[in-house]
Amino acid sequence: MDKRILIICGDNLGVGYDQISYPYIEYLTYPVIVEQEEYRESETYTASWLFDKFRKEKVTAKSSSLRMNEMIDIVEKNKKDFDLIIHVVMGSNMSAATLKIAEEVRQKYKEEIKIINIDTRQATAGVGVILFRLIDFIKENQEEEDIINYAQDLVKNTFTLYVLPDLNYLYRGGRIGKAKALLGSLLRILPVVSLMGDNPDGEVLPVGQGRTYKQAHSVIVETLRKKMEERNLQEIPLSVVAGDEMNKDNILALKEEIENKLPVKKSMVGKIHLVEAIYLGPGGYGVAVCMK
Amino acid sequence: MREDIQEIKTTFEHISKYIWRHKEYVNRLNVFPVPDGDTGLNMALTIQGGLADFSESLLETLTPGEFLKLISDNMLMNSRGCSGVILALFFQGFIEVLSNNDFSKENIYRALERGCKRAYEGTDNPKEGTILTLMTELKNEYSRLMKEKDHPIDIIVSCIPYLRKVLDKTPEMLPVLKQAGVVDSGGAGFIILLEGLEREFNLRRVPDMLPISTVLNINKTLKNFLERRRHSKFYSRTVKTLLQNFNTDNISNPKLNNLIHRFQIYLRTRTKNNQHQSRDFLIQEIKDIESSWNPEIKYKYCTELTLQAEKAITRDGIKEKIQGYGDSLIILEKDKTFKIHIHTNKPDAVIKDISSYGEIVFKKIDDMKKQHRNFISEDSIEYEREQSIFCIVSGSGFKEILEGLGADFVYDYGKKKPSVNKLVTLLNNLKSKNIIAAPDDGDILMALKYAASYCKANVFIVESKSAISLISLLMGRTIEMDAKDFSFTNQINRIRYCAVSRAVRTTTLDDVSINKKDYFVIYNGKVILSGKDQRKVVLDAIKKLLRDETLITFYKGLPVKNHTSLVKDIKQHFPHLEFEEYYGGQHQYHYYITFE
Repeated sequence: MDKRILIICGDNLGVGYDQISYPYIEYLTYPVIVEQEEYRESETYTASWLFDKFRKEKVTAKSSSLRMNEMIDIVEKNKKDFDLIIHVVMGSNMSAATLKIAEEVRQKYKEEIKIINIDTRQATAGVGVILFRLIDFIKENQEEEDIINYAQDLVKNTFTLYVLPDLNYLYRGGRIGKAKALLGSLLRILPVVSLMGDNPDGEVLPVGQGRTYKQAHSVIVETLRKKMEERNLQEIPLSVVAGDEMNKDNILALKEEIENKLPVKKSMVGKIHLVEAIYLGPGGYGVAVCMK
Repeated sequence: MREDIQEIKTTFEHISKYIWRHKEYVNRLNVFPVPDGDTGLNMALTIQGGLADFSESLLETLTPGEFLKLISDNMLMNSRGCSGVILALFFQGFIEVLSNNDFSKENIYRALERGCKRAYEGTDNPKEGTILTLMTELKNEYSRLMKEKDHPIDIIVSCIPYLRKVLDKTPEMLPVLKQAGVVDSGGAGFIILLEGLEREFNLRRVPDMLPISTVLNINKTLKNFLERRRHSKFYSRTVKTLLQNFNTDNISNPKLNNLIHRFQIYLRTRTKNNQHQSRDFLIQEIKDIESSWNPEIKYKYCTELTLQAEKAITRDGIKEKIQGYGDSLIILEKDKTFKIHIHTNKPDAVIKDISSYGEIVFKKIDDMKKQHRNFISEDSIEYEREQSIFCIVSGSGFKEILEGLGADFVYDYGKKKPSVNKLVTLLNNLKSKNIIAAPDDGDILMALKYAASYCKANVFIVESKSAISLISLLMGRTIEMDAKDFSFTNQINRIRYCAVSRAVRTTTLDDVSINKKDYFVIYNGKVILSGKDQRKVVLDAIKKLLRDETLITFYKGLPVKNHTSLVKDIKQHFPHLEFEEYYGGQHQYHYYITFE
């Protein structure tokens, strides 16, 4: 590589740090507030820790936007060693503040180093698949304009679909969007909601519902199949499933269903982080697919 | 967002709101090509569609010309009805010229020229006396005023008084308008659009008009009075007094205005010698007004499609293929996307032919006879939503379940199936343009079909026959799907189920002997087993019907409302399965049992 490029990413990316093979990457951790105490992800405070607290103690939790000083610290520390910084940011419609802070940092350093902020319209593994595909791209091409154009294509072609046994976690976290329509059913249902990269509003959308996990997985597969048809796509380059490990059987069943029913080049199981547990709720999981 | 883009966006939003507020005025004028009373709505939705799908970040990067181009593309893809499509075409041509960001008065003239060209080219069989004439006259008058004024918006606004005169002349150009005593609705909508622009400088008011239903009622009253030889003194005196003192200045419909005026003269001047002749003449005029609002609608369905072409096809090729199916054909093309509008009696055939070229990504079929009937009816409905789902079900439990799954209205009829009248009232109360209606019993279908023909909405009947089909229907609905997409209604049979009931007499059905008070199980319309012990019958039914499902759900009916749950006991026999129980409240069956 000719150009030295640093990537910054939040920890709501649905994949483990050890799964990302890029040497120049810095992670920012989202502050998580559980019963008025602030936590950051660590060996102790993990997604499983929070799920456990949800199940046993019925605690409430919320997240806060990334801290500007922490973003500035990373830029300060690295600005001399790199030619370009790419900040892969979670969807601005879910956290307008995070993108705003990232933009302020970009402005602050515009004379010193070029920073590209990518509004992914995604959260969890949706951010992760965009990050994976972007890393593949910049290994081959470091032209700023090409990176920006490619990132825009990635964003529009990335879809995350979630099975959330309890939508109230998304609701309490203020991210329910139009999926609110799926709340309040007397029947026990498994709502399927999504973050669709081709939806410029970037909000959580309801997709359908199942009474069983099998039905919910069919809804997901059919939705992805339609997206493939719209794009005349022969093969999905990358698919990542991730969620509450207590629901591992269903996570793996979804992975298998996708592999069996759709042509997927690379399929993997990701890992969710502390902040992601807030919105998925116990048993929640999903699949992120990049069609670019 | 850049200031100039913001200014254009705000102006466009104001114009859109302005025409939205005045859409009813335009609707009431709607005669040509078919008096379906939705020109105002179609134009308002077309303009509103121009501003759809903009992200703030995108607008940062655009020039005014590019922004206007986006609006015109959106308008075209969101255009509806003849006038909406023609307006979108005009705007597309107009913006093609302005995309160079030259907003000089000379370039605006070129844009108007191109707009007219696009509108005429895109219209099959263009007629004068319509919105097209107003567009041409705007271009001509703009050209004349260009010599006197400098600012292009000032010039456009100055054209409005002249265009009003042109609009007043449209009845002379199009006989159908003259007959109905109205000006062209599309043309009127076009002027309102320009007034919206003018309103940015100076507030104006559109005159109030009598609703067509009132015009027709006055007409009918006059006819009754003239045709009936004998009236009670009270009726005769009341009508005479009312009509003699009626101030015709308040009636802007020139034909009715003229008629009442003549009627007043008739009441004052009639003699034994002349009264018959004058009366017959007035009755003929009344019939003319009546018939102008009750024309024969040759083609019943206004059909609009958007085709994403997968094969090489041209606009002319499509035209050749489908023009024989009807009239008012308009075909727009952008890249490989075609927007098609036609009035036809064979929408299915049109759809079939068009789908051979690629994927139909949008379709809308409106029953124009029904629209027209609603339009001239006195109790007209202001639609509040595009689509509703209406379920008809027996059981308070199912009512709650279906509402929770997203049905817009659930009618629990208990034991007494609803009448046609009741269904018409319920359908109309929904105030929805399109209604998906689904009953839980095949016996209701006939009444529902009659009710659908009397109600004001387009009703799509789902031939569902149980409460479980309704759950299946709603579970298969994608909530974010297009409000006019009814394709999910084929999902009614996704959930396998059986029903358990109790015999009221001894009989043999489907080769199964059933004694009085026995429990029996119906699956796919056939009795599959029976027995005296309810628990055993249910257990045997599950054993017989279970395939690879993992979830068994019991919906308890009213007859077993207070009975102990069977689930705990049955579950012991199937430890690997999940069981759930809900109260359905159905009268007919003790249990519905579903397999998922």
